Amino acid sequence: MSKTYEYVPEPALVKGNHDFKDVTAMITDINLRPTPKAWYVAFGIANMLLLLLLVSVAYLIWEGTGIWGLNAPVGWGWAIINFVWWVGIGHAGTLISAILFLFRQGWRTAINRFAEAMTIFAVMCAGLFPGIHVGRIWVIYWVFPIPNQMTMWPNFNSPLLWDVFAVSTYFTVSLLFWYVGLVPDLATIRDRTKSKISKFVYGTLALGWRGSNRHWWNYEKAYMILAGLATPLVLSVHTIVSFDFAVSLIPGWHSTIFPPYFVAGAIYSGFAMVLTLFLIARKIYGLEDIMTTDVMEKMNIVMMATGNMVAFAYLMEGFIAWYSGVEYEQAIFWLYVVGPYKWGFYILMFCNVITPQFLWFKKIRTNVAITFVISIIVNIGMWFERFMIAVVSLATDYLPSSWGYYSPTFWDAATYIGTFGLFFTMFLLFLRFLPMVAVAEIKGVMPQADPHNYDEDGEYIPPKVKVPEPYKNETNR
Amino acid sequence: MSDQSNKTTYWKSLNELAQNKEYEKYVEREFPENATEMTDQVSRRSFLRVMGASIALAGFASCRKPVQKILPFSKMPEDLVLGEPLFYATSMPFRGAVTGLLVENIEGRPRKVEGNKEHPSSNGGTNIYHQGSILNLYDPDRSRSPLKDGEKSTIGDFVLFAEEHFADREQPILFIDEENSSLTYQRLKEQILEQFPNAEWVTFEPFNDNNAVEGTQIAFGQRLRTVNHYDRANIVVSLDDDFMSPQHNINSVEDSYKIAQTRKVSGGEGEMSRIYAVENTFTSTGSFADHRLRVKTSQIPSFIYALAARLSEEVTGLEAFQGISNDFSQTEWMDILVDDLLNNDGNSIITVGSQYSPAIHAAVAAMNVALGNVDSTVTYHELPFRADRDENEAFQNAISDLKSGSYSTAVLVGTDLAYTAPSDLGITEALENVETKIHLSDYVTKTSRLCNWHVNRAHYLESWGDGLSFTGQRSIIQPQIQPLFGGISEIELLDAILNGEGPRGYDLVRETWQDSISGDFEDGWEQVLHDGIDSESGFDSISVSLTDNLSETISEDQSGSEIEGMEIVIKPDNKLFDGRYANNGWLQELPESMTKVTWDNVALMSPETARNLGIDPDNNFIEDEAPVVRISANGTTIEIAAWVQPGHADDSITLTVGYGQEDLGRVANGVGVNTYPLRNSANMFYQAAEVEATGSLYEIACVQDHQSLEGRDMIRTASLEEYKENPDFAAFSNMHGYDLPGLEEAVEEDGPNPKGPISLFDENYGPDYEPQWGMAIDLNSCFGCGVCTIACQAENNIPVVGKREVARRRVMHWIRNDRYFAGDEENPEAYHQPVPCMHCEMAPCEQVCPVAATTHSDDGMNQMTYNRCIGTRYCANNCPYKVRRFNFFNYSQEYLTTGDDPEIIQMAMNPDVTVRFRGVMEKCTYCVQRVNKAKIEAKKETGSPRPKDGAVETACQQACPTNAISFGDLTDRDSKVSQQKMDSRNYTMLQELNVRPRTSYLAKLSNPRTELKPSNTETHSQH
Repeated sequence: MSKTYEYVPEPALVKGNHDFKDVTAMITDINLRPTPKAWYVAFGIANMLLLLLLVSVAYLIWEGTGIWGLNAPVGWGWAIINFVWWVGIGHAGTLISAILFLFRQGWRTAINRFAEAMTIFAVMCAGLFPGIHVGRIWVIYWVFPIPNQMTMWPNFNSPLLWDVFAVSTYFTVSLLFWYVGLVPDLATIRDRTKSKISKFVYGTLALGWRGSNRHWWNYEKAYMILAGLATPLVLSVHTIVSFDFAVSLIPGWHSTIFPPYFVAGAIYSGFAMVLTLFLIARKIYGLEDIMTTDVMEKMNIVMMATGNMVAFAYLMEGFIAWYSGVEYEQAIFWLYVVGPYKWGFYILMFCNVITPQFLWFKKIRTNVAITFVISIIVNIGMWFERFMIAVVSLATDYLPSSWGYYSPTFWDAATYIGTFGLFFTMFLLFLRFLPMVAVAEIKGVMPQADPHNYDEDGEYIPPKVKVPEPYKNETNR
Repeated sequence: MSDQSNKTTYWKSLNELAQNKEYEKYVEREFPENATEMTDQVSRRSFLRVMGASIALAGFASCRKPVQKILPFSKMPEDLVLGEPLFYATSMPFRGAVTGLLVENIEGRPRKVEGNKEHPSSNGGTNIYHQGSILNLYDPDRSRSPLKDGEKSTIGDFVLFAEEHFADREQPILFIDEENSSLTYQRLKEQILEQFPNAEWVTFEPFNDNNAVEGTQIAFGQRLRTVNHYDRANIVVSLDDDFMSPQHNINSVEDSYKIAQTRKVSGGEGEMSRIYAVENTFTSTGSFADHRLRVKTSQIPSFIYALAARLSEEVTGLEAFQGISNDFSQTEWMDILVDDLLNNDGNSIITVGSQYSPAIHAAVAAMNVALGNVDSTVTYHELPFRADRDENEAFQNAISDLKSGSYSTAVLVGTDLAYTAPSDLGITEALENVETKIHLSDYVTKTSRLCNWHVNRAHYLESWGDGLSFTGQRSIIQPQIQPLFGGISEIELLDAILNGEGPRGYDLVRETWQDSISGDFEDGWEQVLHDGIDSESGFDSISVSLTDNLSETISEDQSGSEIEGMEIVIKPDNKLFDGRYANNGWLQELPESMTKVTWDNVALMSPETARNLGIDPDNNFIEDEAPVVRISANGTTIEIAAWVQPGHADDSITLTVGYGQEDLGRVANGVGVNTYPLRNSANMFYQAAEVEATGSLYEIACVQDHQSLEGRDMIRTASLEEYKENPDFAAFSNMHGYDLPGLEEAVEEDGPNPKGPISLFDENYGPDYEPQWGMAIDLNSCFGCGVCTIACQAENNIPVVGKREVARRRVMHWIRNDRYFAGDEENPEAYHQPVPCMHCEMAPCEQVCPVAATTHSDDGMNQMTYNRCIGTRYCANNCPYKVRRFNFFNYSQEYLTTGDDPEIIQMAMNPDVTVRFRGVMEKCTYCVQRVNKAKIEAKKETGSPRPKDGAVETACQQACPTNAISFGDLTDRDSKVSQQKMDSRNYTMLQELNVRPRTSYLAKLSNPRTELKPSNTETHSQH
C-alpha cells in the first residue's frame, strides 16, 4: 500500500455501553415512573400560559382584530409573523425524521421522535394564527372548497388558499409519520406498564403490535413510504408560506428568492428549537448517553449551513435590489438598514448572520452551554426576520403618504406568549406519556446492534464475544 | 378630556341616572393607564365622544322598548316612489350669505346635500361645511327643548313668555345676533327696531368681514362688499387671504370654482392665470399658488405698503404710499410681482385676508383702483342691511353698556358669545347685569347656561327661511323635514318677540317675498322654490372713487405693526370654523387640508421656529406624540401641541379656534385646546406672545405620517412653459428617462389583442354592451379642501372612528387626500392628491383573496362583496395604493346603535349602501349605487345599460368645487373622462406595476415666472 489512510471511526451513537434492556428502561421508565413534582410545576406554568392564550383568543373573537396593533398599511402583524415562525420551527422534525432517514443518517434516531413531536405541536401553534387572525372567524370555513348552494368556490389563485392546503397536508402527514414510528414503542410501554388503564390505552394505540416479522416488515415499508411522502412536504410547506409574500407585489415581498430562503430559514430555526429543547430534556431526564454531544454537533453543523444560506439570501436581496434597478426595491432595502425599523435589522443581522459564524469552531459546536445560548439567539433572530419581512414592506411601501409605523399591543404579545403555553402543554404531555426517543429505532444504531467483525484494514476478526457455554452456564445459575 | 362628572352640565340628570356600575365601566378605563395604552381595547370612552355611546343607555337599557309605528300612505303623494330619492333645492346660510344646494330627500328625510348647478355660489360644488351640515341635523346632542332657568320647557311656554315679556315696548333691549342675510329676518329686525324704541341691535361674528367693509369706508367713503371675479383675472395676488378655504371666505366655493377655471388647459395649449401668495401659514391657497412668499403676519402690512409704494412709481392714485420703503421693497420677488401687475393692469386682483386692519384693506382697494381692476376683476356692492357704522366698535360699546346695566333684556340670536367673544369684554359679568336673557342656539352652549331662556334652534334643513348669496341673489330655504327636536328658526324667534306668535316660518317668508316676486306670486314663488334661486336678483355694482383721507390713515397705520419677537396668529379653524361645527364627527375626523391632523388643533410653526424652541422639527414617524408648547399672551397661558409645518413663516405661530369646548356635546367635549382666551378686542388677529416648550408630549392623530415624496413619481408636475414645450412630460419615459421596463418586450404581436401586453389573465373586461367606468382627477384643479372625503363619507355610510383609532391609522375614509411637501424645507411646494380606489383592471387585491370576496364586474369595477369577506386583510396588504379600509372593530355598530336614541343618527344613513360589519374590508366603490341606478334608468329608457355622459356623478365628483374629478364611461370617446384621459397630462400612478388602474391623474401645472423659479421638474424629488 503506497498510501496510508487513517481510519476515523464514527463515534458510537449511543454512549455508555448500555445494553438493549438498559436503553428500553432508560427511555420508557420516564413514562412509567410516578410523575415528578417538577413536571407538575412546569405543566402548571404551561397551563397558565395556555389560559392566557385562551383568554386572548376569546377576547379577540369578542372584540375583533382591532385589539391588535394592526393598522391601515400594516394589515398583517404578529399573527402572521408567529404563524411563519412556528411553521418554520415545525420544519426540523420532518426534515430530521424523513430526509435524514432517507439519507441513512443514523444519528437522527436520537432526536427524531422528539423533533417530530415538536413539529406537530409547532404546526398546531402555527395553524392557530391564520384561523384567528381573520376578521370574521365564524366563516373561516369558506376557505375550504366545500360544495355549497351558492356554487361559490374559494379563489384558487390566492396563496392563502394554497397555505390552507399546504399546512393541513403537512400536519396530517407529520402526524401519521410520527404515529407510525410510535407504534412499536407504544407496544413496549404496553408490555411494561402495570396499570390497567395504561395497558388499555397504550394497547389500543399500539394497534395490536406483537413484534412479529410480518409486523416489522409492514412497519418498515410504511415508514419508508411516509418518509418519501414527507420529504417533498418539508420543502413545499415553507415554499408555499413564502408565496404569501412572494406572490404579492409589495416591494420586499415580491421576490423569487423567497422559497429557498424561507426553507433554509425554517430548517435553521427548527434545528435551533430542537437543540433548545433537546439540551434541556437530556439534562433533566439524564439521557446524555443517547442524546449525545456528537448529535448536538451535527445539528450545529446543519444550523451553520442553513444559517449561512439565510445570510447569503440577505446579501442577495441587497444585491438584487441594486441590480434590478427597481427604485421601490432599493428603497425598501435601504429602509431595512436605516429606516424606522433599523433596530430590527440590527437584531436580525446579529442573530442570523453573526451568530452562526461561531459554529465554525468545533469547540463551540461541542460546548453545550454555548450551543444552548446560540440556539435561543437563532430563534429570536428568525422571529425578527419574519417581523422585518412582514412589517417593513407593508409599513413603507409604494406611496409615502400611506406609510405608517406598526407597533404591537398587549394582546399581540399575550397571544404569542400564549402559544408557548399551548406548545409546552402539549410537549410536556408528550414527555410524560410517550417515549421521547424512538426505542425500537435507537437499538438499531447502537454499537451492540452491529456485531462488527472487521478491523480497520478490512481483515476478518473473529468476534471477541465469548461463546456461551449453555449447559455449563445454566447449571452455574 | 371630557369631564363627564361635571355636575353643572346639562347632562346632569342623565349622568345622575347613570351613576351605576355600568356607567362607571364606560367611564373608567378597564385597565390601568399604561395597560390601556398597550391593550388598546376599543376605547369605549372615545366612542362615547363619537356620536354618543350611551350615558342613558346604561340606565335605561332594560326598561326601554322602542315603540315604532309605521303608517302607510293612504294617499300617495305625487312623485313619491318609495326607495327613489327626490331632490329639492334649498340653500344653506353660513355667516352673511347663502349657498344654493340640492338636497337628496329619501322618504321624507334629507340625507345628502349636493351643490346646485344653477346657483352661482355653488356651480354644483360644495364645501365641507355644506356636506357636514347633514350630520349636524342628525346630531343627537342638539338641544331638544327650550330651557327656562335650566329646566326643561316648551316652545309654547316660551312664546307665552315672549308675548307677555315683550308687551312692554319701552324696555331697553339689546339684541346680539350673528350675520344673517335673510330678507325675512331683516324685515322683522326693522319692525322690532321700530316698535322697540329703546332697543339696540349689534351683530357679532368672531370672524367677520367688518375690517374689509371699514376698509372701503376709508378708501371710498362707503361701506361696501368687495367681490373678486377670479375668473376674469390673469394675475391674482393673495396677501394672506386663503380665499379658497371656507373658513376664510364665505364665498369660497364660487371663488375656487372660478379660479380653477382660469387654470384648465389641455393638449399642450392654453393659458393659465398666475397666483402669487404672500402668507404666514401654509394654506390651501398658498399650495395652489405659483409663487408663494412666506412672511410673518405682522410683517404683511409692511409688504403691502412696500408693494403699493412700488406701484405708486408707475401708476397714479397711490400717491399716499409714495416714499415708503422697507425690507420688501427691493427684493426680486417684489420686482417680478410689480412687473406682472403692471403688465396686466385691469386684469389682476389683489386681495387681502379679512382679519387685517381696515387701513390695509383700504390700501389694497386703492391698489385695485390704481391698477384699473375695479369694475373689471373687482366690483364693489352696497349691502342692503348693513348699518352705517363700525360693527366691531358698536358691539364693544353695546357690551360695555350691558355691563353698566343699561339693558334689562338681552336677546342673543345664535351666537355663543361666552365662548367666542374677546376675553377682555367680560361677557359673563355683562350678562349678569341683565335681568332677562334669551338665547337661541343649536346646542346648549356656554352662553345658554348664562341665560334665563335657552331656545333650541331649528336646523336650516328643518325650517323655512331665505337669504342672499354673496353676490346678492335671493334664495328660499325650504325645509326638508319637520324639526326633529321641535326647535324654532331665527325668524320665528323674532316673530315670537314681535308678535307673540308660535312658529310660522312659512307665512313669514311668504309675506316677505310678496314684494320680491313680480307677476303671479304663486308661480314666481314655486319657480324660486324649484330653482333654488331668484335668478333675476343680485347686487348691482356701484362705481367708486378714492377719497382723500386715505393718505392720512395710511401714515397713521404704517407705524409699528411689526412684532419683533414671537407672534401668535389666531385664525378660524379649517374644519370647525369658529367652533360651531365642533360637535360634528365627520368634520372632526376630516384631516385638516395642510397638516392632515384630525381631532385636535395644533400650534403651527416653521421648522426653524421649532428648533429655536428646542423642538425637533423632524416628523416623528414612530410616535404619534407631538411636543407641547406653552403660549402666554393676553394674560392667559395655554398648553397646546406644536406641529411643524414646512413653509410657515419663522417666529410666528398659527393657532386655530373652535376647540376645547367643555360642555357642548359628546363629540366636541374635551377635543383640542380653547384658544379664544388669547384674543382680546385690541388683538383679534395677531399679537406678541411668550412661547416655550414644556417638554411633555401629547398624542396627535395625524393621518399622514410621512410628508415627502421620496423622489417618487406619484405627483408629476411641470411649469406651463415646459408643458407647452413637451406636452407629454408626464409620461413614464419622460419622468424617468427610460421606457417602462418590460412593457415593450411583453407586447404580444400575433395575439388577438396585438397592442396589449402578454398576460396570463383574461384580458376581456366585459361584454361589449356594458359601459366601462373610469375616473380622472385633475391635480391642476385640486387644492386639497377635503370636501370629496366628507361627501364620500355622507354618501357611503362611512363610520366615524374617533381619535384613538385614527391615531392607530385606522381611519375609514374611502377617498383620502394625500399632501406632499417637496423642495426646500423652509419654503416647500405642497401637492394635493385625492386617492380613491384605483379600480385596477388587473387588480392585485382580487388575485389574493382566498374566498373571492373582491372581484371584477362586467363594467370594469373592482367590487367588494362584504357578505363574502372573511377579513384576511391580504387584499389591503397587496394594494399598492393602500386604499382599502378594514373594520377592525364594529365601528358601524358603535356609530349607529349606541346612544340614547340611535334612530336619529341612523336617519343620516344611505339606504342604498350596506352598513359594514366588523371584520370586513371596504373601499371606494365608484359609488356603485349611483352607477347602477343610472344604468337601470338608462336601460329602461334606451334599452342599453349605458347612461349618457354626466348622468352618473360620484359623490366626490359632485361635491368638488373645482370639478377636478371626472367620471364616466371609457368606451364613450366623447365622454368627459375619456377626453381627460386622452390628454397628454394623463398618467397613472405606479404604471410599472401593470395593474392598470382605471383612476388616473392629470399632471399638475404651475405658471411661475422663470426668473423666480427655475425649472422645477426635478424639485419634486428632493426633500
